[in-house]
Amino acid sequence: MSAIQELDRTILLCRDYVSETATGEQIAFGLRSARVLCISDMRNLSSHSGQTALVTLVCLLTRMGMQVSIDIPEVPMLGPQPPLKGRLLRSALIGANGTLISAAAVHGEPCSEPDLIFVLGDTVIGDRYAWRLSGDDWHGEVSLQAGTRSSRWTASWPVGSMISAALAAAEAFKFTILRLPFRDPADRVFFTPSFSCGWSFGPLAVPAGPLDLGDVDVISAGAICQAALYVLVRLPGVSMRGRVFDDDVTSRPNLNRNMLSRVGDVDLKKVLVIARECGSRFQLEPIAERFGGRVNSHKLAPRVIVGVDDIPSRWAVQRVTPGWLGVSGTSHFSVSSSAHAPGEPCCGCLHPVDEETGANPIPTISFVSFWAGLALTVRLMAEALRTPFHRNRQHLWLAPLRMDGEHAAMWSPVAVRHDCPVRCPLSSRNLPSMEVHRISAETPSSERGA
Amino acid sequence: MIVETQKKFAVEIVYNGVTKPFEVESEERVAALLQQAIAVFRITQQPHLLSLFRQDGTLVPEGESVERAGLKPHEVLLLRPNAVKGGGGRLHLAAHVMSDTFGVLRRCGRGVRECAVFWTGPTDGQLVDNVEHPRHTSSIAGYQIDDSWLTAFWLRLAASRRSVKVQVHTHPGLAFHSAVDDGWPIVSHEGFLSIVIPNFATGEASLDCAWVGQLQANGRWRQLACPAEAISA
Repeated sequence: MSAIQELDRTILLCRDYVSETATGEQIAFGLRSARVLCISDMRNLSSHSGQTALVTLVCLLTRMGMQVSIDIPEVPMLGPQPPLKGRLLRSALIGANGTLISAAAVHGEPCSEPDLIFVLGDTVIGDRYAWRLSGDDWHGEVSLQAGTRSSRWTASWPVGSMISAALAAAEAFKFTILRLPFRDPADRVFFTPSFSCGWSFGPLAVPAGPLDLGDVDVISAGAICQAALYVLVRLPGVSMRGRVFDDDVTSRPNLNRNMLSRVGDVDLKKVLVIARECGSRFQLEPIAERFGGRVNSHKLAPRVIVGVDDIPSRWAVQRVTPGWLGVSGTSHFSVSSSAHAPGEPCCGCLHPVDEETGANPIPTISFVSFWAGLALTVRLMAEALRTPFHRNRQHLWLAPLRMDGEHAAMWSPVAVRHDCPVRCPLSSRNLPSMEVHRISAETPSSERGA
Repeated sequence: MIVETQKKFAVEIVYNGVTKPFEVESEERVAALLQQAIAVFRITQQPHLLSLFRQDGTLVPEGESVERAGLKPHEVLLLRPNAVKGGGGRLHLAAHVMSDTFGVLRRCGRGVRECAVFWTGPTDGQLVDNVEHPRHTSSIAGYQIDDSWLTAFWLRLAASRRSVKVQVHTHPGLAFHSAVDDGWPIVSHEGFLSIVIPNFATGEASLDCAWVGQLQANGRWRQLACPAEAISA
């Protein structure tokens, strides 16, 4: 029963396309029966990026309930990899067996007949077909190959490696869901393998030395902010202080996507989980209250990241944010990510409508929530490096299922709205129509990462 | 000089990373294009929340014609929710539920009195896979569930980790939620659904003419515009 509970939201998302004839147990079994082998040699694990690619991939796969085996040498960890414990990578991964999702195993003995093989960089495995993860500081890619055409992981900056892991996890999911009966066979187009795809958030510099983000407040300790902090805590030389606001406790249905949480954290306040897992790098004060009400009167930090589902809560945060605000959300298999600096259209302009869905649970899956957090952290880094995204890239709509598609990612400006529910300064000015047209003229016909 | 406006042209619409071409006419309503896109992409998850967006981030107004909305040949539009927060889960009905429901309501009510059933399913998830017919008394104007049956029913649900997803009952004429219906749902949590079938369920076995409402956080019922907002068959 715990496996069903832990995979509940993933099962719910599968229900978008899987036939009603399949029970929840059958969908869970389909996910849990996927056997994935991850392979790397010593050289590809001799960099922080290589290690992060492997850990992130294993975490994303196990949070979908899959059975993972690793064929890697033992190496010392080159940086923190929460929620894994220990100083040796292979041991830490095997130690994660059954701790991220109860029924998802991580084995040290290579599976003899895996359904899928993922290989890091230029690790040699003969002529077997395998999905290869490669990339550099900010760029990640995955491709199905027989033989070795990918480059070795050498970077110490790990954003590209986490991109490649997220791309790879999507391929594993697509393989798995395609084994289930579909309500409509035509929907299988959304799950066609992306045999070769890559992604970069754009040309960004790697910090030359230590980078202090200063005070950063985190609104919500749920999946998206956990993913954002999972990424942040892996960035070498980055420091920050701040507070995390959330009144919720970890529940089993959170484990399919909460990247810093473990089975043993069920019933523990989410803010305490975050403070514990990030405590070695950041000074994060856990505030076990929902942002709003009394807390609403607190002055927020100059930089705020938001991962709450509730749209009015986003508006409330925007109203009291003195500086930069980053927002990410998910909708089924899609991701929305935006940044709002003073003088720019706000998150109310971008999300002006509340969605009345009652108390229904939200369908989610590990790699989609992870993309949302990753995009949020990259925006925060771009802001901190004083190279924020251009206004034409204020909003990103991403479809992680088909990153090989020409329009898998759509960057856009945020249009000012007269009816902005936040009533931001731009919306109350009498020039939005001109503003919108000026921005439109600058928008390329199709922009996406390299 | 004669300026010829292109009456019929193609645009591209992107959903879930997949791009498909659509032919539009300048007088066509954007709402029609939106519905066509929802149908072509076979979207069943909260289609009422979806809108078309240009690449400059602006919403394509559904009330306008294609021409007045300023759509251009080969323009790429994004089909996405207007409100992004992950979406709520709809209930998924097993294939037999609808026919079983109408069968029970017709047999019990015989076209002369009200009847009620409860749709149940596993507590964890959105599936409805069983129709419970409670022991009850009824008349042309109402019904009342037997207390002892209700107690046993709750115990049975708890033991089998199932829950009531929807209450369904009939009315003699029009479908609506009466004050009694408002005040006495079998389950009182936010999001719970209530369905009222008109004419003692003697009509077509579908929810097309039914009243479908959802309990809100403030305790009030909100009538859904269409059953598909909350239920997929």
